[in-house]
Order: sequence, then C-alpha cells, then structure tokens
Amino acid sequence: MSTAKRQSTVPAGPKPPVNFSSTVTIPKDAVLQGTHSITIQSETLIHPRARLDSNLGSILIGRRSIVQERAQIGVEPQNIDTAIRGGVSLGDYVVVEVNAVIEAGGTEIGDGSVVQVGSRIGSGAKIGETVVLSNGQQRADKRLADARKLGTLKQINVVRKMIRNDQDKFK
Amino acid sequence: MSSSPPYTYIQCPCSNEEPAEGSDASSPEGDSFHDAERTFDPRAPRSNYSLYLLEYLLYCEECQQIRCPRCVDEEIVTYYCPNCLFEVASSNLRSDGNRCTRNCYQCPICSGPVQVGEVQAEPETNLLSADNATAAPHGPYALFCQYCSWVSSEIGLEFERASGIPSQLAKMKNGGIPKITAKELKERRKEEPDMPPLEDELVDAELQYSALKTFYQSQINGPSNGLPGGLSLGDGHNFSSPAALTRMMSMWQPGGRGAQGKTAGPPDMFPEATDTDKGLKLAQLDESAKVQKLLDGGWDETVSKDQLLSQLEHAHFQDELRPLQCVLRTKRSRRCAVCRHIISKPENKVGSTRFKIKLVAKSYIPSITIRPLEPLAPPVPVGMRPQQPQEPPLKPLQPYQYILTFKNPLFEKLKVSLATPNNTPGRFSSKVALLCPQFDIDPVKDMWEDALDGDDRSRTEETGQAEAGKIYKRGRNWVSIILEVIPPLLTVDSLRPHTASGEPTDRSPLREDEKILEIPMFVRMEWEPEAQHDVGDSVGKDRNEGQKRELAYWCVLGVGQISHE
Repeated sequence: MSTAKRQSTVPAGPKPPVNFSSTVTIPKDAVLQGTHSITIQSETLIHPRARLDSNLGSILIGRRSIVQERAQIGVEPQNIDTAIRGGVSLGDYVVVEVNAVIEAGGTEIGDGSVVQVGSRIGSGAKIGETVVLSNGQQRADKRLADARKLGTLKQINVVRKMIRNDQDKFK
Repeated sequence: MSSSPPYTYIQCPCSNEEPAEGSDASSPEGDSFHDAERTFDPRAPRSNYSLYLLEYLLYCEECQQIRCPRCVDEEIVTYYCPNCLFEVASSNLRSDGNRCTRNCYQCPICSGPVQVGEVQAEPETNLLSADNATAAPHGPYALFCQYCSWVSSEIGLEFERASGIPSQLAKMKNGGIPKITAKELKERRKEEPDMPPLEDELVDAELQYSALKTFYQSQINGPSNGLPGGLSLGDGHNFSSPAALTRMMSMWQPGGRGAQGKTAGPPDMFPEATDTDKGLKLAQLDESAKVQKLLDGGWDETVSKDQLLSQLEHAHFQDELRPLQCVLRTKRSRRCAVCRHIISKPENKVGSTRFKIKLVAKSYIPSITIRPLEPLAPPVPVGMRPQQPQEPPLKPLQPYQYILTFKNPLFEKLKVSLATPNNTPGRFSSKVALLCPQFDIDPVKDMWEDALDGDDRSRTEETGQAEAGKIYKRGRNWVSIILEVIPPLLTVDSLRPHTASGEPTDRSPLREDEKILEIPMFVRMEWEPEAQHDVGDSVGKDRNEGQKRELAYWCVLGVGQISHE
C-alpha cells in the first residue's frame, strides 16, 4: 500500500457560492460543498475536516462561532418524509463540537448554544441558549452570558493561531 | 446473555454443587461424574445465573476449580474517593459516612464531577482583548460542571472560600438561604427559652432527623417508664412494641426461657414525637405553588428519575437539587469460598490498578472460539474493527459447519475430550456433530523453540478440511476442529405429538430464545503438571508429581440465529 493520502473516489461536488467575512478562519481541510450559499460571519472559526453541505439549503453561521473537527452541518435528514425544505442557520457564539451532526431543513441553532460531541440535531429543530448533551438530552444554559461568551472567545483566540487560514481556496 | 452470537459461555461448576457439601468440591472427578448423567440445558431458567464469559472467571489453584463471581467471597481492601483518589480509613467511614468529605462534589444534573471556580463578578468590558490580566479580585466561588455547564449559582449557591466547601454547603440551603442546624437551634433555645418552635416549612429533613434522634435517644437512655418486664396482655398497645414482640417470640421458641427478661432495659413503649422540637413535621398538603411552578416551567423544570434517586432529600424541581459529595468506592480482594485462599487481590495503593494476586481462568483453561467455516457475512471494514460481522440467520434443516478453536494457555500438553448431545435440549432440537471430539493441544512454547523443534508430527494429522476424526487445523498452542449443526424447523406444527417419554408436547407459540441456536458442550481436559520447583513443601511435590490433573465443565456455544419464516 502506498503511504500517500488516499484520495476520495467520490467526485468532488460543485463549489458552493461562499460569503466569508475577512476575519473568518477556515483551513483548507474543511469541506464545503453544495449549491446554495454558505455565509460565515466575522471571527468565526472552522476546524479542519469540518463539513458544511449546502445541497439542501443555504448555511448561515453567525459571529464568533466554532465548528469543530468532523462536525457536519447541513446533512440530509434521516427522516426524509417529515423533513422540511431549507438550510441551517447558526447564531452567534455557537459551538458545534467534534462529530456533531446538524441536519438541514430550516434548522436554527440560537445564540450561545453548545452542541456537544457526537450529538445530532434533527431537521427543523429550533434551539437557543441551550447545551445539547452527548446523550441526547438538552438543558438550558444558565451561565452568565458574558462569562460564556468570554470562554468561547478565548477558545477562538487560542485555536486561530494554530489553524492556517485558507479562505481563498473556497472563493 | 446480552452479546450476539457467536459466543462461548462457560458454566461455573459451583451451580451444580449441593449447598451443604462444600468440602466435596475439591474432587473434580465427582463433579464430572454427576454432570455426565444429564445434559446441561442452556435455556433452563437457572442457567442464566451460572454462565459466564471466560474473562469473568477466576481459578482457584488449591481446589483446581473454576470460580465465578458467585462462588467467591469478597473482602474490602480500601475505600477511596474516585474523584480525588484519597484513601479513607474504615474508622472514618463509620463517623463520616460513605461519601468523600473533601471538596469532591457531583453535579446534581448530570452526575459529572464539578470543579470549584471563581464567579466572574464583573465581566470584562473589552471582549476582544481577553488577554489583559486584571488584578484578580477574589470574588465568590461556585461549583462548575464541565459537562453540562451547570453552575451552582443557578440555585443560589456561592461560597466565600474555595476550600472547605462541605462545611460551607452544610450551612446553606438552595438559594443561599442560611440553613438552621440543630446546634444553632439548641443555642438559640438556650438564650430565649420562650421562643416558639420553628415553622414547619423551615424544618428540613436533616433537622427533623436530628430532632427525632435526640428525642428517641433520650428515651432509650432515660428511666424506664414504669412498664415491668412481664407481658401485660390486657393492654392492646403493647403488641405493637418491638420489645414485646421479641419477648413473645422467645416464649414460643422450644425451650424458651420465658419472659423473665431484663427490667432495666429500654421501655417497651416509646411515646411518639408530638411537636416540632421532638421531630414532628406535618405533611405539606398545599401544593398550589408547585402546580403553578410546573405550569410555568414545564417538563424541563422537573427532575428525572436518575437525578431523584441520587438525591438525599426528595425533590420535585431542578432547582431543589443539591450537589452531592462523591460516593466512595472500594477495592476488593476475592477469596475462594471453599478453601479460603485468596484468588484476587488488588494493590493497596489507590493510584495503582495492578493486582498482587490474580488467578484468572483464562490462564488455566483453554479459550474456545467459534466461527463459521464459510462465512456468509462480508468482513467488517478496518475502521469499524471491534464490531463482529453479523451472520445472516441460519436456514432450517441445512447443515452448517463451524470452526471451533481451542487455545492452550498452559505450559503443559493438554488432552481435551469434548461431548455434545446429538440433539440439543429443548422443544426444537438441532442435530450436532463434533467431527473430532478428542485431541491434544501443544503447550505454549517459545516461537524459537517451536521453530527449532522442527517435528512435523502434528502437521500430519491436520487436514485443512472437514473430515470426521481429524483435526481441522493445528498451530503452536491451538487446535481447530469442525462442528456440524443442522438447525431445526421452527414451526410448532413440525413437532411430534409426543415426546420420547410419552408426554404430550408443549405446543405454545415460538418463544424468543428458541430462535437462538445454542449448543451445550462438555469439556474435559487432562494434563500432567510439571513438578513445581519453587514450592517448598514436599507434600505438595509428591502430590503433583506423576499425577494427572483434570478439569471438566460445561460450556455453551452460541452459534447463531435460526430463521423462522
């Protein structure tokens, strides 16, 4: 076996129209695909190998949000019959943790939410200021909003130094 | 039996022993003799309690017998807190209870460990420049859960100091209201004796308990209130007191000493607590506030069952939950119940996960694995490797062949003889045939030694294909043989009207576990232990030398699901 990185056999999809703020940090390993627009607002951080799929609807990610590794946004809904048409919108200060899945179809994640490791947000869900736990439960986040924002910001400030920004690849 | 086939369970011989004859267990011959008379039925209700995976079994070297979790005695070696790994002496346990008395708390919402942290009193105005270190004001502290983001300030619990949380928490109710302790109440009463008793709402379970405790303690220690030792049958109330009951029991006992009991002991009857100071608390029947809260907050505000069970006091709503101190854990050593020899003993140190003694069955008896000769399921991709390939259900009345692999963990040559019933027990019995029920397994050897030996004796017997009386494949310390199974037709109509003994057959519909093909197999192994060099006593040496050892047990092979269309 060759030691070279295995190339995906699936042909790359169309490049989606993107609309990035100049302060967005997005590495070249992130995967963006689809036909609808992908908008990412200022100071948001995308980790490598995060996957944003706008095939089913546009994706909007607010300010100072974090999308971690292998998180998938805009995935085809598991239950096609009940799914609505539409995309995904993430508010400000949203943290989508490793391996979390957010289905497309009018899904709205409100400001300051945390979607924890490996959890799945169904199509059409509308949550806000909430922590979605890995075990599928959720609870309202009652921490001081400012302290929480500060935590997210500190995380962004540290990680953005470690991720090489490669916005131009997606434009 | 939760795992899906293929699997191998081993029956611990302890389930066949009579409860009284403990000493007889040391003779494995006796056991195997009894077992040989009847076939072990893996579907019998009792079997659930005697079947174990090989990994769960221990082995007693003295009795030379398998030991399961049911036939060992456990002894607690140490108590420790799982959070701070601090060892707790058992004398402290009696006074302080089985919870960590240091700063270890569990989140009341998700039961994760919480950390003490400073509450950011004034958020920094300039969020972008987060690095500027301000002179840290030592603000109030709170407990933070890293998993579910619970903060103790949610329920109004904030602490002045970061250390000594237990003592601070003991003085505080949820919402930061100071808690009235029994000691405080006593002092207050001393200062002003005319103070009316507390309102019932202010009395919490802890206060009530301490009041009740002192109330009854004073009665036990106090002078007996005039009821003499004899039974006064005229007074109907007397029967309800436990002392009277024991006295009556002793009268009825054969050779009972009658009722000349103690007269100076505690009184027969305790008056009940009748006011708040004595520990009486009336039930709060006005629940309108709770109903209103439920209407406002909805389902999310209420506690889940798990949360409720972990709490000390009954709580209805999330904000009534309190952080709990971590429950201590134990390290246990295990003794053979028959000969009292220690068969597993962990190291005393809390941080260490090693064992001083651990006699696991895996290093004494061969491991048995079963897999299909011609697998029908596609292999599992490398990325999902721990997952077992799922075989499709077996078609009835069609022969299937399986490879049984026995791996010898011993340094001696192992003689194995197997036996299975021709038809598995139960209503729908499969036909089973072992193509090679007797074989030897070579000992564990060095790879070099094996290569240098170079004898091809073993290679000649193996065939590499299913052939009666021949080993399928042989390796350094393992042997594979072929097992042939013909699953039955799973329809009630196909059953014969009468069983062999003439009783009418059970024609009830198909049960859940009848779809799974399980084969009981009797394993008997024999080996000649080498003379032990390190053991000093000559008696043991004599006994060991030239004497064959044997071990016999039942095991259950879970082969697969039978399709029932």
